Amino acid sequence: MAENSIVLGMADLLVIRAPVKLITLGLGSCIGLVVYDSFAKIAGMAHIMLPNSRGLMASEKVGKFADTAVPRIIEDMVKLGATRARIKAKIAGGAQMFALPGMSADFLTVGAKNVSETMLRLRRLGIALVASDTGGNKGRTIEFSTSNWMLKVKTLGKGVSEI
Amino acid sequence: MSDNEFAPSDTHLTALQLDAIKEVGNIGTGNAATALSGLLSTRINMTVPQCEMVSIYELGEHYGDPMQIVGAVFVRSLGGFQCSLIFIQNEEDAALMVELLLKQQFGTFIPVGEIPQEMTDSALSEVGNIVLSSFLNAINMLLGTQHQISVPGVAHDMLSSILDVVASIYGQMGETALLVNTELSVEGLESGRKVSGHIILIPDPDALEMLLRKLKVM
Repeated sequence: MAENSIVLGMADLLVIRAPVKLITLGLGSCIGLVVYDSFAKIAGMAHIMLPNSRGLMASEKVGKFADTAVPRIIEDMVKLGATRARIKAKIAGGAQMFALPGMSADFLTVGAKNVSETMLRLRRLGIALVASDTGGNKGRTIEFSTSNWMLKVKTLGKGVSEI
Repeated sequence: MSDNEFAPSDTHLTALQLDAIKEVGNIGTGNAATALSGLLSTRINMTVPQCEMVSIYELGEHYGDPMQIVGAVFVRSLGGFQCSLIFIQNEEDAALMVELLLKQQFGTFIPVGEIPQEMTDSALSEVGNIVLSSFLNAINMLLGTQHQISVPGVAHDMLSSILDVVASIYGQMGETALLVNTELSVEGLESGRKVSGHIILIPDPDALEMLLRKLKVM
């Protein structure tokens, strides 16, 4: 069956039934999170920008923060018919685009915090993280196929890998 | 994305305030253009800066094709007026800018194509450093503030990945970033091609109030 493609923008969060290809372009410090239940054939993707909403941003996009995106995407998966225990997760992104020697600033290392917070939230919900490609200093473009449940990661200068 | 998400819901600035910030950008750009002109011994054109409120969800699209490969030099400035600055060029322009600098410094016989990337990156970071520190010097002179500038960081990547840094500065505060954007360009090259670069000033969100007070528009 042919897969239609859906491109997610910053802070977007989407849960769908297969067959669909989910794409996020140009992740820098942001995280591309995918979750799927291969038996129920349901998948989701979120483009997470920051680790923590600090409880302030009730009106904002839930996909923006790791602490709000992870519980919501799992909830949406279950609502659409996924079985929680079968849901698996993969993540990519969380790079540090610029390193300034001798200078530390929260926003420069936000990629690493995005990774650790996303992993923590998945762990707390008991969701298995089965693959990841995170960190480094290069941006990533990702495509998730709901026909083989593989996440294709394209990195400038490093080519394409599938996780 | 709906229109109301684009609205500057978190930072309310009047037209007068935006104009005042634009003028700051103008003064910075003038000095940056002069410095770049001195470095390359050539005439530099500059555009009138734009002071823009941009949705952090649309940064990539705002500056062009989010997937285009760009060369970027990033610095952080600490002191009285805390901000970050990016000198951003599409990859081809960045390479041409480096070539201009190397030919200017070492003569036209230099085999630019054979120089290792560490060295061309070092040249690119020097161009960025001179442009951005001149920009900052002029602003801090105007405001009467002291500042220190970080060592520059260089990256070559997709525009949208590079601009994630803006989203992470403004994202925790809200959904809109205040940016001052201006373009410097070198024309009249033998090839007839224009080489240009954008300076993007990203004031720290909590430095804005100080800036507006100093400019007497708050």
